[in-house]
Amino acid sequence: MGSAGTEGGLITARDAGLVACQRCGQVHAQDALYCKRCDGRLQSRDTESLQRVWAWLFAGMIAYIPANIYPMLLTSTLVERSESTIIGGVVELVEYGSIGIAIIVFVASVVIPIGKFLAIGYLAISVQRGSQDNQHQRHKAYEVVEFIGRWSMIDVFVVAILSALVQLNTIATINPGIAAVSFALSVIFTMLSAQSFDSRMIWDVNRTAE
Amino acid sequence: MTDTPAPRPAPLDVRPVKQPMWKRLSLVWLVPIAALSISLWAAWQNYQDRGTLITISFENASGITAGETVIKYRDVTVGEVEDVEFADGLTDVLVHARIDKTVAPYLDDDAVFWVVRPDVSVRGITGLETVLSGVYIEGNWDTDPDVAQYEFVGNEEAILTRAGQRGTSVVLRTGDGGSITAGAPVLHKGLQVGYLEQPELSFDGNQVVVSAFIESPYDRRITSSTRFWDTSGFSVSFGAGGVSLDVSSIASLIEGGIAFDTVVSGGQAIRDGQTFDIYPDEQSARDSLFTDPNAASLQVAVLFEQSVTGLTKGSEVRFQGIQIGEVDQLNAIVVGEGASAQVRLQAVLDIQPSRLGMSPESTPEDALALLSDFVARGLRARMVTGNILSGTLVVELVQIEDALPAIVTQASGQYPVIPTTDSQISDVAATAEGVLQRINDLPVEELMQGAIDMMDSIERVANDESTRAAPASLVALLDEARALVASDDVQAVPGDLRKVINDIDAIVTSTAEADIVADLDAAIQTTAAAAANIELATENLPELITQIEALTAKANALAIEDLVKTATDTLASIDRLVGSEDAAALPASLNGALDEMRGFLEEVREGGAIENVNAALASANEAAQAIEQSVSGLPALSERANQLVAETRAVVNSYSERSRFSAETLATLRDIQTAADAVSALARAIQRNPNSLLTGR
Repeated sequence: MGSAGTEGGLITARDAGLVACQRCGQVHAQDALYCKRCDGRLQSRDTESLQRVWAWLFAGMIAYIPANIYPMLLTSTLVERSESTIIGGVVELVEYGSIGIAIIVFVASVVIPIGKFLAIGYLAISVQRGSQDNQHQRHKAYEVVEFIGRWSMIDVFVVAILSALVQLNTIATINPGIAAVSFALSVIFTMLSAQSFDSRMIWDVNRTAE
Repeated sequence: MTDTPAPRPAPLDVRPVKQPMWKRLSLVWLVPIAALSISLWAAWQNYQDRGTLITISFENASGITAGETVIKYRDVTVGEVEDVEFADGLTDVLVHARIDKTVAPYLDDDAVFWVVRPDVSVRGITGLETVLSGVYIEGNWDTDPDVAQYEFVGNEEAILTRAGQRGTSVVLRTGDGGSITAGAPVLHKGLQVGYLEQPELSFDGNQVVVSAFIESPYDRRITSSTRFWDTSGFSVSFGAGGVSLDVSSIASLIEGGIAFDTVVSGGQAIRDGQTFDIYPDEQSARDSLFTDPNAASLQVAVLFEQSVTGLTKGSEVRFQGIQIGEVDQLNAIVVGEGASAQVRLQAVLDIQPSRLGMSPESTPEDALALLSDFVARGLRARMVTGNILSGTLVVELVQIEDALPAIVTQASGQYPVIPTTDSQISDVAATAEGVLQRINDLPVEELMQGAIDMMDSIERVANDESTRAAPASLVALLDEARALVASDDVQAVPGDLRKVINDIDAIVTSTAEADIVADLDAAIQTTAAAAANIELATENLPELITQIEALTAKANALAIEDLVKTATDTLASIDRLVGSEDAAALPASLNGALDEMRGFLEEVREGGAIENVNAALASANEAAQAIEQSVSGLPALSERANQLVAETRAVVNSYSERSRFSAETLATLRDIQTAADAVSALARAIQRNPNSLLTGR
């Protein structure tokens, strides 16, 4: 197999009248509907991929708004009751001097979700426009997005663990705020959005342009 | 070798058929739509449920934290502070808070807010929960929605009377607010039935005004005849019953307290906000029940020349011993101008007309008219000692007999002036000193010496020979008087007189017959006068006898032993009488008088007056005979008759003088008797009341 980047030398499965199973990789004839090995549904191209990408992306973005407005943690101790949002918690950590943790929280809670929104949006737009630039880079970006998406849940996990551990009745109690749910939903929606993206469409541009 | 290219499948056109957009729509779009609608709905709901924004201004915001401090109503959280900021010009702290929509309509103009902080007072500890949780703002308002307000001024202190609490609020006035504090209890028969609000100065600054809230149902005990008094602290009083210490509850000891009671029935129901006076103690409160505290009082001034030390504001003003008012002011004023200017001390008296016995409707003018009337009749003001131990003075209005005329004047300016009289101020020290000085000054030594002297004198008189001889002399005198009366000569006087008259009658008859009436006229007149005189003499004789009899009775009744005994018993000090030479000479004089009398009687008997009468009668007899013998010698006869009459008159006069002598003797004896009685009375008086020696009365 030659370099994937050679001009005109790249043949897709579809060009060869084949279709590959996306779950197990078994190649079938074009007209096969189900995979012989894993019984999975065979589809040469997902025509509704972009719609689903956009839909999940919007849902994730909508969910991300309350995740930042409402408090993530409800901390009640004997003397005070405090609510902290994501950004508020980061600022508090910086004030306390825990720069490292602040950076981790900030990256996991702000940078990665927003990066994902931007990346998925960029990929979807570029596919829609039939861009031929940086096909390899875009494919790598997609892989990174899909891989890193699950790590955004780190915040939700922290909240869940704290809420489970710190339940000392009146002395100190930590409860998840509404933002925790919103944030979790936002992460789930963006992951679904990333998964809905059919990366094969990145490479279809050449054919359709002909 | 030929290089043929690898066979390639024909390019397959795989372009899908363009389908209409709506047909290609995926169901996945429902997810963002749902998310969006949920978000929008939540946002809308949130906005809808957002509370009403109110602003409360406080002087300071100690402990109030935006986002944390809550607002509570009856211990239920109804709102939260959103923001704390300064008002323009940094005058106040503005607390912006959101109040639940359901509660907001009730926040009308009666809503009050205050910050609940931990508070430790005599009555207990409140707000302890805020030590850990931080302060909160408590609000209070009634349950009637009215015109909703959005801006409030917060109280610095918690209010005491919650809106909607049932009870009655009254206003209490006092001159001194030192003993009352906000929250101090109001007691009724020892139970706390209410409390005081924050005391404040009245508008004119003369009084302290404090609202008191009496809880239902105790407020029904308050009528217009209810009296409030101060029970704060403790009172120590000492009097005839010993020292008494009066302490109310510990709380009222520290915080002060007010008690009330309604003793007399018949008071009218009160309205909210009725004003009452606070009396300094229970006694004065009860005393005041019979006067209307709101009745207008009469103010009059009294100008004192001397010091008014001991007279204070509030000193009693008494009239005939009854308090009718009190001293309201004390100050010095200048009376007169120029060289005659003098500083006088002016006491302004506050007099209650009703205490003067006037009707409750009477005005101060009526009372002034009454007082003016009294003053014109001698009413004067003076200071008298009210309490001899503390030296306090009271002003007394007294009726002074034969006082210099005076009237009520307006001399000192705004008040009518009541004239004064000398004050009766008895200083304890001065009084005690004066008493001791008087005792010291008593001539005890001289008195004893005088008593001893007097006893000696009396003893001497009693033991004197002359005194002892007096009874015997008297007896002899009486005997002689009796003998005189019984003598034949005296007995013969009436017979002789009758004979003379017969003779004269005969003479007259014969003279008439002799026809010499004209010549005889003067003689007959003279003879008639002589006869009248003789008749007078005979009339005087029985009188003399009765007088002598009375003298005898007196002398018998004299009981000389009693006289001596009384004189001996009574050791009074009439040494002037007893010790004087006259008194010493008395027995001698008495004897002398008796001797003289006896001598006179002897004289009478031995040929004095009786013989003279007899001789005169004999002469008359001879004369009558001579007339009978010859009427020619009538002038000589007349002459002799005249002579006879003169002689007779002299005799009669001498008897008259003697009778005066006996009267004088009697008077002397009576004087001695009176003197003895006086001595006896003095002795009895001293025996009965030895104090009179000390008091000098």
